[in-house]
Amino acid sequence: MTLSLIWMGIGFGLITASVLALGAVGLTLQFGVTNFVNFAYGEFLTIGAYLAFVFNKGLNMNIWLSMLIAGVLTAVVAYLFNVWVIQPFIKRKSQMIILLVVTIGMDLFLMNFVQAIFGPEFKQYQDPAGSILHIGPFLFTLQQIIIILIAAAAMVSLHVLLKYTKLGKAMRALSDNAELALISGIPTMRVTNYAWLLSGFLGGLAGVVLAINVNNFTPALGSEFLFVIFAAVIMGGIGRPYGAMLGALVIGLAMEVSATFMDSAYKTVVAFGILVIMLLFRPQGILPSRGRV
Amino acid sequence: MLHYLLTLAIFFAFFAVEAWGLNLQFGLTGILDFTYITFVAIGAYFAGVAAMTPSTNGGMGGSYIFGWQLPFPLSPVIGGIAAAMLGVVVGIIGLRRLRSDYLAIVTVSVGQIVWMVIGNATPLFNGWDGIVGVPQPYNSVMNLSTNNYEWPFLGISVIVAAIIFWLVRSLTESPYGRILRAIREDENVAAALGKNVFRYRMSAFVIGAFIAGISGALQIEYIGAWNPSGWTTLETFIVWAAMLVGGRGNNRGMLLGAFLVPVLFTEATRWITIPAHPLLMEAIRGMAIGLLMVLAVRFRPQGVIPERKRVFPLTTIPGLKEDVANGHTAQG
Repeated sequence: MTLSLIWMGIGFGLITASVLALGAVGLTLQFGVTNFVNFAYGEFLTIGAYLAFVFNKGLNMNIWLSMLIAGVLTAVVAYLFNVWVIQPFIKRKSQMIILLVVTIGMDLFLMNFVQAIFGPEFKQYQDPAGSILHIGPFLFTLQQIIIILIAAAAMVSLHVLLKYTKLGKAMRALSDNAELALISGIPTMRVTNYAWLLSGFLGGLAGVVLAINVNNFTPALGSEFLFVIFAAVIMGGIGRPYGAMLGALVIGLAMEVSATFMDSAYKTVVAFGILVIMLLFRPQGILPSRGRV
Repeated sequence: MLHYLLTLAIFFAFFAVEAWGLNLQFGLTGILDFTYITFVAIGAYFAGVAAMTPSTNGGMGGSYIFGWQLPFPLSPVIGGIAAAMLGVVVGIIGLRRLRSDYLAIVTVSVGQIVWMVIGNATPLFNGWDGIVGVPQPYNSVMNLSTNNYEWPFLGISVIVAAIIFWLVRSLTESPYGRILRAIREDENVAAALGKNVFRYRMSAFVIGAFIAGISGALQIEYIGAWNPSGWTTLETFIVWAAMLVGGRGNNRGMLLGAFLVPVLFTEATRWITIPAHPLLMEAIRGMAIGLLMVLAVRFRPQGVIPERKRVFPLTTIPGLKEDVANGHTAQG
């Protein structure tokens, strides 16, 4: 085991962590505001990846521009998902377990919907990976550096949004105590819709960068990655965006560094192991609990 | 045609058993098991390798563990116990947290991990190729052809299904079942009455997993082979849809659900093929199952045959009748 191999693992880990951070923050934001897990979230990633495929391969657009458009369209999908599918159940005051059954049913529906349109074959974007750059001990392609920059930019913007804007403060309030937020005059419905939009946007972006990162993808792209996202989300404390960022970093590094020691087919087992340890010993997450978003 | 109907009848028994197990977990206790098929598969694998001849390791049959050549009633029991043990592990990780989403997350993750590990770790159950040549119960003495063997196997399936039905019915109608329903309705109230919610939920989850394993064991001993492409996410939700349509909480409803969804809808639509896109029908079937789950809980959450509403007449409680007669109302 040479040192350079470990540095390579850390390099891959940073990229996986970037993909994971986008996905994990998108899931945890929506959880924080609505207080239930969306098991169809993996399909937001898949839908984002395939929408970008349409623009990139079908309309010959630049992959990063395709990614942005796909992110916006996935946000619309997530918004409609909330309005058409989730809200009827919220209005009837359905139990949470029923909501979870609904989201997993929609997961199955959406995944097979994508498969019905695009088929089960592997798809690939057309985009040169770019020249290989040496940055310190790391070797990155230009594409990988852009992925890391996108994730970093998204995390900084999210921080600004949550900390300094009215919408961000409203989301945090709603996440702390929904009833209190409502009687304080916060338009909870509108804030919830924004949370879904944001969740879909981040999920869509995560799907595209995940598809770039794994190179070939099928309609199972998102649902197969979902439990790695769960691991990152639970590690950081479910519903906490900053925790999800930290969780993404830890899980991403752990997965890729371990892959330099053993068969890389088992790297998801590492993510699963961390998930199990967290649930057994610290289910509230590694960050001290002080409000959820 | 008779051959086909017999096969359907046998599959009906498999699915009915699966639905009873899931109904015990979700319908009765309110536990979200989003990877039910994994317990079916574990039951199938372990029953299979318990019944097979020892592996020649790398020979024609591939490599696998065990190879104990156990006779029929023992091999399914091995399968059921293996599935129950996986249930204990999953329950320890996910059931201690009171929020139901944690267990759901654990089940989704466990399903993916088990699927991936069984596929990649070839020494266990011969990896992605799966195990083949599982002996059919007692056919080494009966020496029947595949077509003629279906009658005795239907008999075996019906007997096993009847035993499982008796088991779930006894559990449902007993005080134990009443506590499970109480936990489903409000676990805090059940805990306040001194019931150990974790222990009850754990036991219901594990018994459900055992029943799933029994169904898987029956399936592998009928089909004779098992590999990872046979137990995908879709299979879990076919059972879910059957349970929701049949009427969760109702064991008779499970029979109807197992007939309507897996047998009538899934098996019968295998006749429909779209020549240009051979896999399109598979995707449409998946969309339909997902949509069916959502529409079922939206428009008929109680299912076709609703759970019987339990009413406990006040007159059976000594002293209460007089209170009611005097104008006092019993609350709760």
